[in-house]
Amino acid sequence: MTYNGKIVLITGTSRGVGNKLAEYYLKENATVIGISTSNFSLNGLYDHYKCDLSNGNEIKDTFRKISKNHSCIDIVINNAAILTSQYSLIMPVKNAEDMVKTNLLGTFFVSREAAKLMRKSEYGRIINIGSMAVSLEPKGDSIYAACKAGIGTITNIMAKELSTYKITCNTLGITAIETDMLNQLPREKIDEIIKTLPIPRYATINDIINVINFFCSEKSSYITAQTIYLGGIH
Amino acid sequence: MIKETVIATIQDVVDSFSDAENVKIDENSELFGKNSIIDSMTLVSIIVDIEELFSDKYNKEICLTDDRAMTREQSPFDSVKTLIDYIEEITKK
Repeated sequence: MTYNGKIVLITGTSRGVGNKLAEYYLKENATVIGISTSNFSLNGLYDHYKCDLSNGNEIKDTFRKISKNHSCIDIVINNAAILTSQYSLIMPVKNAEDMVKTNLLGTFFVSREAAKLMRKSEYGRIINIGSMAVSLEPKGDSIYAACKAGIGTITNIMAKELSTYKITCNTLGITAIETDMLNQLPREKIDEIIKTLPIPRYATINDIINVINFFCSEKSSYITAQTIYLGGIH
Repeated sequence: MIKETVIATIQDVVDSFSDAENVKIDENSELFGKNSIIDSMTLVSIIVDIEELFSDKYNKEICLTDDRAMTREQSPFDSVKTLIDYIEEITKK
């Protein structure tokens, strides 16, 4: 698929997977709108917006600014997420609440505001990044996994609501990949989990891009409310 | 002015999104219920467009689906007229 002339909005572009995705879609000649909590820039057709994704009203204001600079959005990749891995009994209240606000509500509000722009062109692809944690339910990830499971549910319900506007919504459940987020976790614990996967290796950015490109394809207009996991998880 | 703007916005949405053909929107057009000429997602689009219009054109933030609207005895979404009345009421405050 060619991304020439397409406008791709990605959350969490200042680091990790979001950063690599932004670089890829810029290289593919898309215009990339990036959103993250910090100021950031990339070369090329990159337009960055600083926004606290845990704040619904700030997301709304950010999209008001975006709509002044861009008449439409073709593709949204909800990638931004925060992670505190901690046993439930000792999970700090603030960290638990921040994960729900950023990972779950942030994804919802970004999808919603983007869909308002997409509906006018009667085309859109919303891709939400899920996690292997939903299926594997590792200790310490109760809130994180619940948020990612919730993202799958939001995706499926929005898929029903937005099909009228020819917008598809899908979830990509990724496995562990070398990022800043991974460095926050005990490597031995992740290695043990990875060993149990049908394909026992870490994900690469190309594994992620491959599925996103499938969801984004013009030919995938009949693919919605689906979750694809990497690595053989189901 | 609100009346004309709201009717024009609804007409625009109905022309763009509704399957109904050659529908002329006026104050008596029903938006919700069994005699409505639009489906639920077209009504959603109307609400979104009117909220955006007030934000962009009049620099006024309105929410047409908050508790105040949803708990009224007469729904603002019964007809174009009830919607216009409701918008006039909340924008006067």
